Amino acid sequence: MEASTTTSASKTPADFLKSIRGKRVVVKLNSGVDYRGILACLDGYMNIAMEHTEEYVNGQLKNKYGDAFIRGNNVLYISLAK
Amino acid sequence: MALPTKQSAAPNNPSLLLPSELVDKCVNEKVWIIMKNGHKEFTGTLKGFDVYVNCVLEDAIEYDRDQESGKETTKNLESILLNGNNICMIVPGGERS
Repeated sequence: MEASTTTSASKTPADFLKSIRGKRVVVKLNSGVDYRGILACLDGYMNIAMEHTEEYVNGQLKNKYGDAFIRGNNVLYISLAK
Repeated sequence: MALPTKQSAAPNNPSLLLPSELVDKCVNEKVWIIMKNGHKEFTGTLKGFDVYVNCVLEDAIEYDRDQESGKETTKNLESILLNGNNICMIVPGGERS
């Protein structure tokens, strides 16, 4: 990957993944379930390890996990939380 | 917006445009993304994409139509990485119709 040689204005998926580590994120799965928490680490498959994870089903808090691993194939998107 | 150093797949035929070259033209432009399942769509500014067409969108809006009620919900997302696995179509312009 030549992520660092792209033009300054664009931001490839690799750049994005690098920039969001340690930030608060929302991860939405294909099933529609949201996971909010602090992104501990992730890889190119979008496998994700999160801390202080909260599970939201239909917008309602259903569960809390200290640490959670999400397998990348289930991920619809990763969003930076406000 | 093709880089001058980049070799085109069809240098002798300017009318031939690869699909990825079309998406390349949309970087830093508004796009409308329609997902495979048919009831989810996104609009936003395309900041970049990779070989899987995973897309980085800024100031994105997620549109989700409920199958039973037909009611559409929207959600504003400032910066997202959208998994390319479920993308069906990318429309330049970003206006839904």
